[in-house]
Amino acid sequence: MDSAVVVRQPPERGYWNPVTETMPREELRGLQWHKLRTSLAHARRGSPFWRARIPDGIASLDDYIARMPILTREEIVSAEATKPPYGDFPSCDPRLAIRHHQTSGTSGRPPVRTFDTARDWAWAADMWCTGLYGMGVRPYDRAAVAFGYGLFIGFWGLHYALEKIGVATIPTGSFDSEGRVRLLLEQGITVLACTPTYALRLALTARQMGIDLARESEVRIVVCSGEPRPEATKQAIADAFGAFVGDTAGMTEAATIFMFECIEEPGGCHIIESDFIEEVLDPDTLRPVPYGETGVRVMTSLGREGIQAFRYWTNDLVVKRPWSECECGRTWDWYESGIRGRQDDMRKVRGVFFIPVMVEDVVRAFPEVDEFQSSLRTIEELDTLVVRIEPRPDVPSEQYGELAERVGAQIKRQISLTPIVEVATPGGLPRFEMKARRFQDERSRPATHA
Amino acid sequence: MSEAGPRLTPDEEQRLLRCYADLKQLAAHCQVPSVRAAARAALAQVHAALNGQGLAYELYSADWPEEDKL
Repeated sequence: MDSAVVVRQPPERGYWNPVTETMPREELRGLQWHKLRTSLAHARRGSPFWRARIPDGIASLDDYIARMPILTREEIVSAEATKPPYGDFPSCDPRLAIRHHQTSGTSGRPPVRTFDTARDWAWAADMWCTGLYGMGVRPYDRAAVAFGYGLFIGFWGLHYALEKIGVATIPTGSFDSEGRVRLLLEQGITVLACTPTYALRLALTARQMGIDLARESEVRIVVCSGEPRPEATKQAIADAFGAFVGDTAGMTEAATIFMFECIEEPGGCHIIESDFIEEVLDPDTLRPVPYGETGVRVMTSLGREGIQAFRYWTNDLVVKRPWSECECGRTWDWYESGIRGRQDDMRKVRGVFFIPVMVEDVVRAFPEVDEFQSSLRTIEELDTLVVRIEPRPDVPSEQYGELAERVGAQIKRQISLTPIVEVATPGGLPRFEMKARRFQDERSRPATHA
Repeated sequence: MSEAGPRLTPDEEQRLLRCYADLKQLAAHCQVPSVRAAARAALAQVHAALNGQGLAYELYSADWPEEDKL
């Protein structure tokens, strides 16, 4: 393999829709209200579910937030169960659908089922275009999408968006990791889209193949989605690929992404506020929290005509920051560190609030560690955090003890919990491509949820 | 704040709005299947463009003739 360092084009700044991305905030609120009013009227006309739910005479954005009930996942599932697959939930005839997606249902719960009309899907792809263009993706790029292309909506919208931008797009659904690494090199791929977990998996596979992707590939942008991605993980991916790593997040209930990381990297992701109204609420009081404080995001999608979502309780933990703190010129607020975890993943351990992704933020800062798992166990009647780390194969086994000590000390510093750190043999921990499951709550009594 | 980026000229804006109106007519009423399908696909894209410019926002598919849904 030629080991000459590949020179990459750095991502360039740009807006997909300059007008709405840089719109003064008052105008932006006016645009949101116009779309919301139109969407509410459409929902009342087309959906028995929404007709029964939307209060009469909503007169402004503030009035909407004050009076519109919060929608939960369980309510969508119940509405759809009245007459599967969609029940009385849709706002237009499902026969206008051009595609169907549903949540994975990996937790054993019934899935949320959704469809998109041609209009909805064009909008969904355009939201992805907004994010991808903002990350610096351009028509001259060549992209590989490492995704399974199934019922789960995942990167489907990204694929259509790449095509719309004019990017040569390679679906790698059937490839294994070695095949994907070879493809990155042979096809001169410049954009890679996958989960953060899988980006690290590819980097590891490449190392095992004797390939340094940071030197030998042309990848200049890694688009990550599908999982919370702490800063240490972002840095590990950036180092492994020598590329800009842009975070995004979306959900099946929205059909698309609602946020993305611009190339100024403010430390989080801009909310696409032209098409989403995002509230951050205290989970106990349901009152809005100010900028800089953690709360649960409540989403209103202004984009879809079939499956609409008004004030949807997402369970995502976020911290909103004002638009003016980012240099990119967008007037859209942003979520510091993206999605920080799930409210239902939050635990209270010995008086300390704990979210499993906190462990990842520590462990990924140790390049000697390839993989990890964490669990909460009851040990001598005390809640205890146990972290299993798997060192890279080139770490001598006599250094395992010292590595475990350093990881443990850093967890204590960052999370304020003293963990037990165990060391697994190389290759001993499971690998994931989507929706990594690295955490187990194995405590012998019911978990204390926050 | 940085530069705001390119904007549509008034002429481009008018052309885009005319395209949208024409496609909407074809999407709803054209009897040639291939042309109607193309118009609907194109209409969705032009609508996304208008939405991105803050020029038009509609939820329109429910208005299409009932016979298309059979």
